[in-house]
Amino acid sequence: MKMKPTFRFLFSLTLVLMAAGMLAQAPKKETPPIKKDTLPVKVSRFGVRVGADLYKLSRSFYDKNYKGLEIVGDYRLTKRYYIAGELGNENKTVEDDRLAFNTKGTYFKAGFDYNLYDNWLDMENMVYVGMRYGVSSFSQTLNSYSIYNRYPYFGAEPTIIAGEKFNGLSAQWIEVVAGVKAKVINNFYVGFSFRVNKLVANKRPTNFDNLYIPGFNRTYEGTFGAGFNYSVSYFIPLYKKKDLLPAVAPKKKK
Amino acid sequence: MKKLVLLLIAFAWTSSSCEKDDICDANTVTTPRLVIDFYDVTNPTVKKTVTNLAIVGEGLTEGILFNGVSQIKVPLNPGADISQYHFILNYQNTNTELIDEDEMKFSYTRKNIYVSRACGFKTLFALNATNPVEQTDSPTAEGLWMKTITVTQPNITNENETHLSISF
Repeated sequence: MKMKPTFRFLFSLTLVLMAAGMLAQAPKKETPPIKKDTLPVKVSRFGVRVGADLYKLSRSFYDKNYKGLEIVGDYRLTKRYYIAGELGNENKTVEDDRLAFNTKGTYFKAGFDYNLYDNWLDMENMVYVGMRYGVSSFSQTLNSYSIYNRYPYFGAEPTIIAGEKFNGLSAQWIEVVAGVKAKVINNFYVGFSFRVNKLVANKRPTNFDNLYIPGFNRTYEGTFGAGFNYSVSYFIPLYKKKDLLPAVAPKKKK
Repeated sequence: MKKLVLLLIAFAWTSSSCEKDDICDANTVTTPRLVIDFYDVTNPTVKKTVTNLAIVGEGLTEGILFNGVSQIKVPLNPGADISQYHFILNYQNTNTELIDEDEMKFSYTRKNIYVSRACGFKTLFALNATNPVEQTDSPTAEGLWMKTITVTQPNITNENETHLSISF
């Protein structure tokens, strides 16, 4: 899969929005009048952030073989740690050369994000790494397949229409996440993340395989997979806390 | 931060460009052919090579020619429960008296087994317990050239073992 135009567009849009967000905030840093001998007190806001994956949502419109929705959320636990999770549903039809199948199901991922970025004053951006544990429950329908015959002496085999349904399938995996989140306007955040997944449990159907797992995405020969998400979320502040070490701020100001 | 973003972009590009693993590997065991070993009828433990043996599928014009080998691999029809062939020994020999043709009808059951995303499915065959091979002398009655036919492995799952032993 090459980067699709829409994907590329969304990707550039994130970068532009992020840059805009950061530029807009830049002048703020110089405005607070700092009295001599006193250090600015950094206040961190804590709360819940909820949003949706726009990549999955937009793809549902232009890709006739895909329907998907993912709700993302996190809760700021400490200065750098966030409890994070995703809840989603996917319905994907794959039409490969030799196989055509449909996978649909629901997934849930839970874990944490760790913010690596040192914010200035009231900035609330994130450059983070994290981990998730994902669980997916799904069903598959094998629509059609063809027989691989290296010696088709009696002629090429026609595609076999199967329509076989496999219910009660499941998978579990671990995800390593790396991503960025930037505040664009008050309490609105835009971000994207990349994920590398590794299957730990996979309940396969008999005489077929889980070639696509909702939440995990396409599977490969081994147990690894990859994912991407582009989210827009809203932050609901719950309480504020003064930072214990305000001395960090002036050190950064060079 | 800039460095990390660049790293992420680089990662995205590399992971999106190396994905085409959708070619069925030549070493993968897919639909197997029927493996036949030929033996000397006068000395049943000694393998015997065939001379210009043409096998032509029923209703087909183009055949498969074997010469100087004691083992042949016969493609079975994965679309039907029988495969019919004309086994013609000394095919197109100038001395027409040497040409001997027997008709072979293989009867079996089929099972489609999942292989992989790239290969799709394969068909495995199991020769019927009763009348797995029917041999008739046609179109002219010059006598059967294959004297004995023994099923050594009725389950045709790969091409590494012999399924039929024929002596002539």
